[in-house]
Amino acid sequence: MAKKARRPAAPVTPAAPAVELSEADHRTLGTLRSLADRVVEGAVASRPPHLDIPSRSLGNVRFNKAKRFIEMGSGKNRRELFNLAQAKAYMQTMLVASGCKALVEQGKSTSIRGMYYLLKHTIAGTKEETFDEQADCDPIIEDVEVALNTLREELHIYAQNKGSIVGNLVFRDSGDEIDCSRMGSGGYTIPSIVEPNVIQFLKCDAKFILHVEKDTVWRRFNEDKFWRKHNCILTHGGGQPPRGVRRLLNRMHHELKLPIYCLLDNDPWGYYIYSVIKQGSINLAYESRRMAIPGAKFVGLRSRDFERCELSPSVIIRLNDQDIKRAKQIAQYPWFVDKKPWQKEIELMLRNGFKLEVESLISKDISYVTETYVPERLAEQDFLD
Amino acid sequence: MAIADRDSTETERPSTKRRATAESMATQQRSISVSEFFSKNRHLLGFDNPRKALLTTVKEAVDNSLDACEEAGIVPELWVRIDPAGKDRFRVAIQDNGPGIVKKQIPLIFGKLLYGSKFHRLRMSRGQQGIGISAAGMYGQLTTGKPVRIVSKTAAKKPAHYFEIQIDTKTNNPEILNGKGEGIDLPFGAAGEKMMADLAIEWESEIPPDFASAEGAVPAPLESGTRVTIELEGIHKRGKGSVDEYLEQTAIANPHVTIRYRDPDGNVMEYHRSTRKLPPEAREIKPHPYGVELGRLVTMLKDFPGGTLSQFLTDSFSRVSPPVARAICEQAKLSPRARTKRIGREEADTLYRAIQETKIQNPATDCISPIGEELLLKGLRQVVPGEFYAATTRPPSVYRGNPFQIEAALAFGGSPAVQKISFDLLSQLLDESDARTLKQFLVATFDGMGPDGAEKIMRESRLGTRQSVAKLTEPERKRLFDAMRNVNLADGQSMQVLRYANRVPLQFKLRDCAVTQTIMGMNWRPYGVSQSRGSLPGGPITVMVHVASVWVPFTSESKEAIAAYPEIEKELRLALQTVGRKLGVYLKKRQSIRQEGERRNVFLRYLGEVAQAVNKINGTDAKVVYDLLMKVAKKKTSEADVQLDERGKAIVEETEKEYGGGVLIVDQDVASVEKQLLERIARRGTVSEIETATDADE
Repeated sequence: MAKKARRPAAPVTPAAPAVELSEADHRTLGTLRSLADRVVEGAVASRPPHLDIPSRSLGNVRFNKAKRFIEMGSGKNRRELFNLAQAKAYMQTMLVASGCKALVEQGKSTSIRGMYYLLKHTIAGTKEETFDEQADCDPIIEDVEVALNTLREELHIYAQNKGSIVGNLVFRDSGDEIDCSRMGSGGYTIPSIVEPNVIQFLKCDAKFILHVEKDTVWRRFNEDKFWRKHNCILTHGGGQPPRGVRRLLNRMHHELKLPIYCLLDNDPWGYYIYSVIKQGSINLAYESRRMAIPGAKFVGLRSRDFERCELSPSVIIRLNDQDIKRAKQIAQYPWFVDKKPWQKEIELMLRNGFKLEVESLISKDISYVTETYVPERLAEQDFLD
Repeated sequence: MAIADRDSTETERPSTKRRATAESMATQQRSISVSEFFSKNRHLLGFDNPRKALLTTVKEAVDNSLDACEEAGIVPELWVRIDPAGKDRFRVAIQDNGPGIVKKQIPLIFGKLLYGSKFHRLRMSRGQQGIGISAAGMYGQLTTGKPVRIVSKTAAKKPAHYFEIQIDTKTNNPEILNGKGEGIDLPFGAAGEKMMADLAIEWESEIPPDFASAEGAVPAPLESGTRVTIELEGIHKRGKGSVDEYLEQTAIANPHVTIRYRDPDGNVMEYHRSTRKLPPEAREIKPHPYGVELGRLVTMLKDFPGGTLSQFLTDSFSRVSPPVARAICEQAKLSPRARTKRIGREEADTLYRAIQETKIQNPATDCISPIGEELLLKGLRQVVPGEFYAATTRPPSVYRGNPFQIEAALAFGGSPAVQKISFDLLSQLLDESDARTLKQFLVATFDGMGPDGAEKIMRESRLGTRQSVAKLTEPERKRLFDAMRNVNLADGQSMQVLRYANRVPLQFKLRDCAVTQTIMGMNWRPYGVSQSRGSLPGGPITVMVHVASVWVPFTSESKEAIAAYPEIEKELRLALQTVGRKLGVYLKKRQSIRQEGERRNVFLRYLGEVAQAVNKINGTDAKVVYDLLMKVAKKKTSEADVQLDERGKAIVEETEKEYGGGVLIVDQDVASVEKQLLERIARRGTVSEIETATDADE
């Protein structure tokens, strides 16, 4: 271990002064250092070291009705070094902290997978690995985020890039000016870190944002130049939107004052994506402040669209047991339970016994969704909230 | 054709000519002497094959010696010596420090079958019939033509008697060959010693000091004793059913005995006593009415010197008081005052049935002397290495009017020696070994290591089975060492069963014995032991069962397996369940202690990582952090240690409560295991000799 541990440490010291650290970086380093200091202090006082990590479970989140998003409660889990069940996790947490420190100091960032490889090695004198697989490492990274009350990007860790944007918007990304109206057929890939120090909005003519679920639908809209016709911004998050996408939506909504409309599948999965965009997710409840968009609206698809749009019965997909269970669960979420239209919507889907994907509208006409369905909904102001 | 036809019809016709007449047959009919009978049916007495013959000879002599010593109240000291005497011939000599035998009786005891003191009395003893030693002598005589030689001395200042005896198999009488049919007296002192030397008589004249003697004690002169020498045809082999095994097992059940054994290869093995306390003297009892069969009853009636039926019953049997005798007579509708001489066959029959129907108190059971829990534990521990021992002695019980008592002991060996020794010792053993192949080295050096276990280790270490020991390189030794640690040898190991009847080990017919059947029929799984249905449990367990009785019911005269009487089976089960439960308690406890130990390791494993991480974040010297954390860890674990100690202490204190006594727990640290291993190797002699024996066994 000693050998491996020293290798990244060696270049840090000479390289450190060359990197210009931002204010945020200094703050992050400070919190990381205090984490380590507490261990030393504890050890000097011969107290067994421990960490208090806010709990990221369903039991520790609550729905803030005033703010209309999910907040993390005050519940904390204590992680002790001298506890048989927690010793390894404690060690791993300290490793992740040391890895983050190295990244921040070097002014570099890495993916969560990169972090896993950075820290993975055999523990001296044993045959045990610090991390057996990435799945061991990912939750520890989130633990460090919440324990230090920092953001992932502040720790110089990012997730995979996912999701695209196109529309009448110009911003600067790491110094480069990006005009989202000139992105060809592929659009601009939304980076994982979209904080103001990375992305600064320069110019926006768009009047609203249309967020669609997946790439195929997004392409349809882009090819039909929907955003140009309706003067909007078009995004997708590749299914469940990652943090970068959610954060960018949040920033555009708040900073550019753009309303957001979501076009998602008519199934429990689509409902949940909407729920995450609007109220935040349980796992990242501590990020809701920066991520949740309580004003987001649900355009479709709706349970009644099968009849309203006179779709062919061949496009329906039967609900399976899991769908039904999940739908009932979602209906019981505190942020849905008081909303009559949503209760009706879910009830109708259950009564229908089938779900509809956005793509099913293509059976009417290739551009039905862009030329008829969405414009009609927007004109009618027919949304679910 | 015609002739042939006539011939065939003639042969088919029943022959009118008698093949033999009653008279001619009568010339062939004569009595068979016991000796003749047994010389033809030697398997009945345990002389089925040359290997077993050697064992049986030793066994009969040793059993007799021990019985004699105990009866005389002498702490037994035995010398067993087997010398090769030509191809497949051995000279077996057994000497004891017993009371000796008076001159007149020597020829009869060794030269006449069915002569002895034990048959006619009901008393717990090793021998029962008085066939054994004379049969061994007869076997020797049949196979080698050599007489049995006996030296016996009854007191320090008295002469020793020397006899060379043969059995006349026709008449079952002894023939004395030396001293003109009178034997020779060897006077006390120098003259006798010279005579012994001239006649090439071997005699141990002094007893070496034992454990209890003071430091620098000198050997004590042998005051009395008997030495019997038999030359016979036999095969000497080690392993199961061998003399070595018999003596080892005898030592377990007789912790008051010291045996010095010199095998045909000149190796000396000594089994030292762990106590000087003799087992309490077994009392002789009268038979209990329930245990008597009709035929025996008739004989007893006939032999009764005369008197009334009531007198006969009260005098001949135990637990028959005059009122009980009256009750029996009433039941049989016979007068208590009837003369026994006048009781006929039919009346004896009614009397027999009346006895069975009358309620009679069970026989007194103080006639049995069990080994006792303490000595069972001691004896077992001396011979079977292990970490946990439990023993129990059941209260006496009765089958068919015969009192008996069951004892059971159990040894549980943790990891075998092979997993405990250090690399240095392994190297040393490898250097000293003269085994030809590595497999032989493993099997011969380590106890409880079978060929299968050795194979497993070889496979794990990626060394060939034929790998020569001498040519092992250092890395190969290291690999062997690692493999020895990692291979799970407990897999496939099954319970060892040691069976004893009146302190005599039973080495054959394992499957036929009530003991084994009871073990297999029990469910051992609740005690934390693996067992597949209807077979012996698995794991490093040795179970020892002692059946003590005034009359042990064997399945055959060769005394190899105990018959399954329901009463005996029930007691066996209860005894085994008791030791099984104790093992269960121990295994559960061990499990929890092991978990505590793991706990500490887990902390220590991660301290280095944490210290490095802290160092990288805030620059504190990793060594300093590590040492500090280590200090905290030590404080933390010492708290755990205290708990452990409390537990450990609790074991000592609560042993009585938790296990109900009869338990011995041995700490198996590396040093003691290595010491034990070296001792065993020293006792066993060189590896190559054992190895040839094991090869032959396979």
